[in-house]
Amino acid sequence: MEEQSNLNKKNSRRQFLKKGLLAGAGIAAGGGLVSAYVDTNATESGKKVKVLTTGGEIMEVDRGLLKLPRVSREESHKGLPGRKFVMVIDLGKCKNARKCVEACQKGHHLPKSQEFLKVYLLQDSEKTSPYWFPKPCFHCDNPLCVSVCPVGATYKRSDGIVLIDNERCIGCKFCMTGCPYSTRVFAWKHYHEFDEDKEPYSPEASSPGKEGTVSKCDFCPDLIRVGKVPYCVSACPMGVIYFGDVDEDTVTNGTETYQFSQLIRDRAGYRYLETLGTRPCVYYLPPVDRQFPVDRGFPDLTEEVKSRYKDTPYSRKNKP
Amino acid sequence: MENEKKSPLREFAPQLEQTSFAGYAWIVFLLAVIGFGIYAFFQQVFKGHEVTGMRDNVVWGVYIVNFIFFMGISYAGALISGTLHLFKTTWRKPVIRMAEFITVISLLIGPCFILLCIGRLDKLYYLVIFGRIQSPITWDVIAISTDIFGCFIFLYLALLRDLATLRDDDFLRLPSWRKRIYKALALGYTGAPEQQQRLNRATDIMAAMVISIAIIVYSVLAWIFSVTLQPGWHSTIFGPYFVIAAVYSGSAVLIITMWVFRKVYHLEDYITKKHFVAVGVIMLVLAAFFGYFTFSDYLTKWYGSEKNDELLIQLLFKEFYWPFIISNYIGVLLPLIVVGIPKFRTVTNITLTSIVVVIALWLNRYIIVVPTLESPYLPIQDARPEWVNYTATWVEWSLNAAGVAVFCLLFTLASKFVPIVPVTGLMEEAKKEDVLV
Amino acid sequence: MKKYNSFLTILVLFIAMMQPHNLKAEENLDSANIYTETKLTLGYFCGPQDSVYLTATLLIKREENTLALEDAQVEFIVIGETSNKVIGTVNTNQEGIAKFTFSITGLPTNKDGMISYMAKFAETLKYPATEVSFSAKPASLKLFFSVEDSVKTLRVTATQKNAKREVIPISKETVMIYVPRLFSLLKIGEISLDETGTGTLEFPKEIVGDTLGNLIVMARIEEHDVYGFVEGKNTINWGVPKQYYKAEVPSRELWTPIAPMWMIITLIVMLLGVWAHYFYAVYELIMIKRLSKKNINLF
Repeated sequence: MEEQSNLNKKNSRRQFLKKGLLAGAGIAAGGGLVSAYVDTNATESGKKVKVLTTGGEIMEVDRGLLKLPRVSREESHKGLPGRKFVMVIDLGKCKNARKCVEACQKGHHLPKSQEFLKVYLLQDSEKTSPYWFPKPCFHCDNPLCVSVCPVGATYKRSDGIVLIDNERCIGCKFCMTGCPYSTRVFAWKHYHEFDEDKEPYSPEASSPGKEGTVSKCDFCPDLIRVGKVPYCVSACPMGVIYFGDVDEDTVTNGTETYQFSQLIRDRAGYRYLETLGTRPCVYYLPPVDRQFPVDRGFPDLTEEVKSRYKDTPYSRKNKP
Repeated sequence: MENEKKSPLREFAPQLEQTSFAGYAWIVFLLAVIGFGIYAFFQQVFKGHEVTGMRDNVVWGVYIVNFIFFMGISYAGALISGTLHLFKTTWRKPVIRMAEFITVISLLIGPCFILLCIGRLDKLYYLVIFGRIQSPITWDVIAISTDIFGCFIFLYLALLRDLATLRDDDFLRLPSWRKRIYKALALGYTGAPEQQQRLNRATDIMAAMVISIAIIVYSVLAWIFSVTLQPGWHSTIFGPYFVIAAVYSGSAVLIITMWVFRKVYHLEDYITKKHFVAVGVIMLVLAAFFGYFTFSDYLTKWYGSEKNDELLIQLLFKEFYWPFIISNYIGVLLPLIVVGIPKFRTVTNITLTSIVVVIALWLNRYIIVVPTLESPYLPIQDARPEWVNYTATWVEWSLNAAGVAVFCLLFTLASKFVPIVPVTGLMEEAKKEDVLV
Repeated sequence: MKKYNSFLTILVLFIAMMQPHNLKAEENLDSANIYTETKLTLGYFCGPQDSVYLTATLLIKREENTLALEDAQVEFIVIGETSNKVIGTVNTNQEGIAKFTFSITGLPTNKDGMISYMAKFAETLKYPATEVSFSAKPASLKLFFSVEDSVKTLRVTATQKNAKREVIPISKETVMIYVPRLFSLLKIGEISLDETGTGTLEFPKEIVGDTLGNLIVMARIEEHDVYGFVEGKNTINWGVPKQYYKAEVPSRELWTPIAPMWMIITLIVMLLGVWAHYFYAVYELIMIKRLSKKNINLF
């Protein structure tokens, strides 16, 4: 049912895929679009995922991911030349569909207990309106996590991306207390999901994970390298997350492409907790002109996820 | 005292020469506790840090609390012994060695606790080969290792005369290997005037060094917390606050140690009520300072009531109510009352107060570390209770107990190796008294 | 524990086996008797100078699984009035896509000037044959830039070739104007063509180009029933020169690999001060030892 209603939406991802496929390689600059058909846009259902074909029928596709090139640890310290990445998250469109989280987990071979991307239910004060708040790593321009690292296991590259080298990390967890946004996660044991990844380790892939080390959202530089947007961006059915090169002044969510400066100006974009002086590279568009009321984020959740939001001011008041 | 006229070393002979059955039982008990701690440690190594209560929000738990605690009492020993030495306090002699032992022993245990907290012990040497000077952890590695060297040198200087006395004493029934160790360690010190002069000069310098390094090291330790942006940690007062809390806890541990050795080795002649009151008064002054810093820290947080500070204070008064009351009310007021009012100043009272103070200060570190991590800027939204609230597991408690056991064991062994009271100093004092009489 | 481990190994192996989704065309003989369906989709794209770019995506469907078929041969064919002409044969990549670029000069058209293309996958031992076709009329878009009274104007002309190979304008169509970016195309405007196949657009300011301000501008007719996808490109230095990212000031620079100078100096001074005193104390101890030897020698 959900799939059907999505189909009818303008700018829906399905429509886009149809276009994309018909256009074929016409999307010279958007090499990621064709592959989006196979590896992302996934609703997990066992080992298979559902995608829509060009003919409009729903097919199940093996959930295996395409092999991405993995660069060496030394190479991963250099940023992509002449780039500076930025993310814009439109809070007005998020309905906690959690596709971003699922795609990210799958792409990075993460266990359920480790989420690089979390979706919060926030309410700034009693009389303000609650909203869903997807939170990746902010890849700050003044990253405290990098400052406090005693061994240089986490570093900021020339393209603005903050990465972790799990082979260097000693697991002191100082960066986790240094980050004011609770972005980083720790591998408290060896999760079997780590073994799914047979490729050699690269900090750009943040995979395979290593026990006793810290990891976090990495802006998927391995995908960027092949001209694709991060997993969360292409997975979002609502097009909430925009990604791009800020020096090029462009961000895209896969379907729509905007001038970054215009988007931030027209939609009053801001950075979360600006007062902390961390200078994040993730911008938020305020939750105005909602496409969905907040409670639309609840019905499709599993009990486990639902109970995460039990103790929020919104849930205490509304009992969804 | 005058009519008995025996060398103080004679009096310490039993302690050095033999170990009673109770003594062996005590050592076996300690070894058992340590053994269980080792078992817990292997659990942690093989099953991963999942066996601890720490999770992504509360990434530091009682290991870090113990780290701060042991480092704290260590600096206290250094500061107290150093200060007493430099100011030539007359009553210092019987207690100064205990303070020095506290320093060195806890300095060996403290860093072990931070190692327990580290995810990849196999890569620990990266701290040295890839160390970044910007990181407070690197500051800590440098400062602590410098401090360990300094405290060992200071302890050695203080032991030198006694080692020479032990070497020269022919009446002690000791195995020859121990005699040989004493001989090697005594460096041929005979008490020649020039030797004395050099020893005094070195001791004075090291006392000054130990005091300043203790302040630096404990401030660095505090900065690990206060350089982060976490509400509750990001505070300028943390450096001096930690130093004061450290000395405070150390003075309490010193009193407890004094009481234990006085009881076990029957040192009532040497460690008298005068000493308990003297150290007790130091503890009282430090309690006042500690209370003042605590008040100052929480007052500024509470008065302005910034959103996250308010949440933290709410948490402290709700879920951490008793630890907060014990550490910041009872832990401050009790010594003020017991030592402050002359009527209450008995050896037992002062010792009991010290025990409460030690517990209070351990809890103080706990409520500095844990509640802050439980109230980050972004609210914790998680379905798993252990991810929201921290509770230490048996693994952590066992290792905690093992740490205390190692402390007691090393102290016991040290007291078997050298007199727990500097005998040479006492002999000199006795001579002086003779001359005066 | 051991049981659990072996279970884990099996699980891991199982997952590993499930992983490769790109079947090599000539492998997996045991699955030959399972009914397999193949499916081709064709993408069409008409570029400048009569070049055409075709992409064929080959998928196979077996027991509810849809997989991309790697290394399979796809034939690209132009359908003529009387006979078909194979213009190329390409193997699919790991995503099941075969890409082929060619010139349309001299290819047969129908009476409306349309060219019919076909992608064909021939039957193999395990996979049935499949084909897909698509027809489009060759067209071309050209971009011209002009500045009048400091107004920057982009003019686009659209042309097509009729059955007699004459170039005639495309009128009354909508052309999208894009600037290609790292991940996608940034739309900067839309042009409606007049009867002569021409349209203009006042070029927007504040479009970032490369460091010299150069921009690639792209005009496109998209998803058209007759023309399919048509694209024209041109380059102009009307962009805002790209400014490379610099850390905002004031930067504390604590995150950079090298520590601030004051920190290094402070550390060295403090360490030297402390260790000098240590060495002095150790020196005194050595002297004490020496003195004892002297004494022994004396007596």
